[in-house]
Amino acid sequence: MDNNVSRLSGEPVIHVKDLSMRYDGGRQIYDGLSFDVPQGRILGLLGKNGTGKTTTINILMGYLRPRGGECRIFGEDIRRLSPATRSRIALLIEGHVQYSFMTISQIERFYSRFYPKWNRAAYYELMSKLKVSPDQKISTMSCGQRSQVALGLILAQNADLLVLDDFSLGLDPGYRRLFVDYLHQYAKAENKTVFMTSHIIQDLERLIDDCIILDYGKILVHKPVSEIMSEFRKSAPENPDPYIREREPSLLTLEDAFISLTGKY
Amino acid sequence: MEKAIIVKEWLKTRLAAAASMVLCLAMAAYAILKINRLVALKGADHLWMIMLLKDNTFIDAIQYTTVISAIIVGIAQMAPEMTQKRLKLTLHLPYPQMRMVGLMLSVGLAELIAIFALQCASIAVFYSTLIPASLVWRVVLTSLPWYLAGLIAYLFTSAVCLEGTWMRRVVLALLGVCAVMICYLQPAPEAYNGMLWMIVAFVFLLALLPLGSVLRFKEGRQ
Repeated sequence: MDNNVSRLSGEPVIHVKDLSMRYDGGRQIYDGLSFDVPQGRILGLLGKNGTGKTTTINILMGYLRPRGGECRIFGEDIRRLSPATRSRIALLIEGHVQYSFMTISQIERFYSRFYPKWNRAAYYELMSKLKVSPDQKISTMSCGQRSQVALGLILAQNADLLVLDDFSLGLDPGYRRLFVDYLHQYAKAENKTVFMTSHIIQDLERLIDDCIILDYGKILVHKPVSEIMSEFRKSAPENPDPYIREREPSLLTLEDAFISLTGKY
Repeated sequence: MEKAIIVKEWLKTRLAAAASMVLCLAMAAYAILKINRLVALKGADHLWMIMLLKDNTFIDAIQYTTVISAIIVGIAQMAPEMTQKRLKLTLHLPYPQMRMVGLMLSVGLAELIAIFALQCASIAVFYSTLIPASLVWRVVLTSLPWYLAGLIAYLFTSAVCLEGTWMRRVVLALLGVCAVMICYLQPAPEAYNGMLWMIVAFVFLLALLPLGSVLRFKEGRQ
């Protein structure tokens, strides 16, 4: 199903219904988790450490079998995603994992064979900011530079859905902002759907349309960011946290709302 | 796509493959030097006599190099897939997943077969200048189980590396040791002639073992 068909049919790009997950012999991660990600939306999945953000991405990508529930991406069951559907999903794994034994040019040539809409120019445009030679091996780069290579490869895939797990890890503030701006512009111009997690919430505020805040075992909030912020600002004067109560409501951020909902620890 | 996967695997394993080749050729050279010394001291007819009457092929030095080489290549190829979480990346590529793993294994096996063929050929070519073809063939047949042991060791190493849980890794490693030992139980020349085809069939079956590890990884047993 291409973008237009998906949009016309109104079918969400990601559909999760009654998902439950428990690790063998461990605690329940969540039970009855349901959400949809419609075409063209940027959704941020937020939560404290251990609430199941990466677990959710692992389930969606077919690397974990949930205890129950239904997950579909582009209408396909995630347990049986076809290669054609996988080519429409750009996946950034936590830690910006890549084939670090390759050079910048080798890895570009490698990926370009798999993705029909490969955008070589987008990759090299981002690489030009790194000031490294195309023959440099990725393993010899700094952590931040490796992250930038991984993000360049993600954008060059020109996929319909981008799944980014902790995309800001290791990036310096300048590049983080550059990437957030680039991704926002790119996703809106090309009607891409993005599903992402990040620990740096102030980045997401400028980027995401919708937000899911996970707590241990459940979804606390699933709303557009604008709605979350407007409700939070309205209720700020009654907030038990003096920092939030005494602050000018227009200066409150999504991070404040997140901490107010989930607690500091 | 196949070419891209083959190139990727080659880039990843070329150093390990080169190290394995150096090891195999160095041990082959050592065996050749020993035979050369014997021929220089006692003559080629003495070599013949010992080979025929004492069941000696004079290539014992190479017998474990195949297994060591296979473990080196297997670890270099598969261990980073798990330790660096690259298997998720690999399985996400738009290519049939089991075919992808099969292709990765094929590259490792092809490298080892090339190394083993070179080692075997170097010894056979050297021997053919000293002894008749029937005896050269006897030497080759004697070394064949060791090469098959190398392939078995490679497939078990791959399965152990791709396995997600320590318990299964230990079990697979122990099974691997037992399977490899089968090829070294009988030291007499050509002792395995009658069952070579069975070992070959076993190697083909073993190729399913790493695929099972990948399927368990996908089930979340990590």
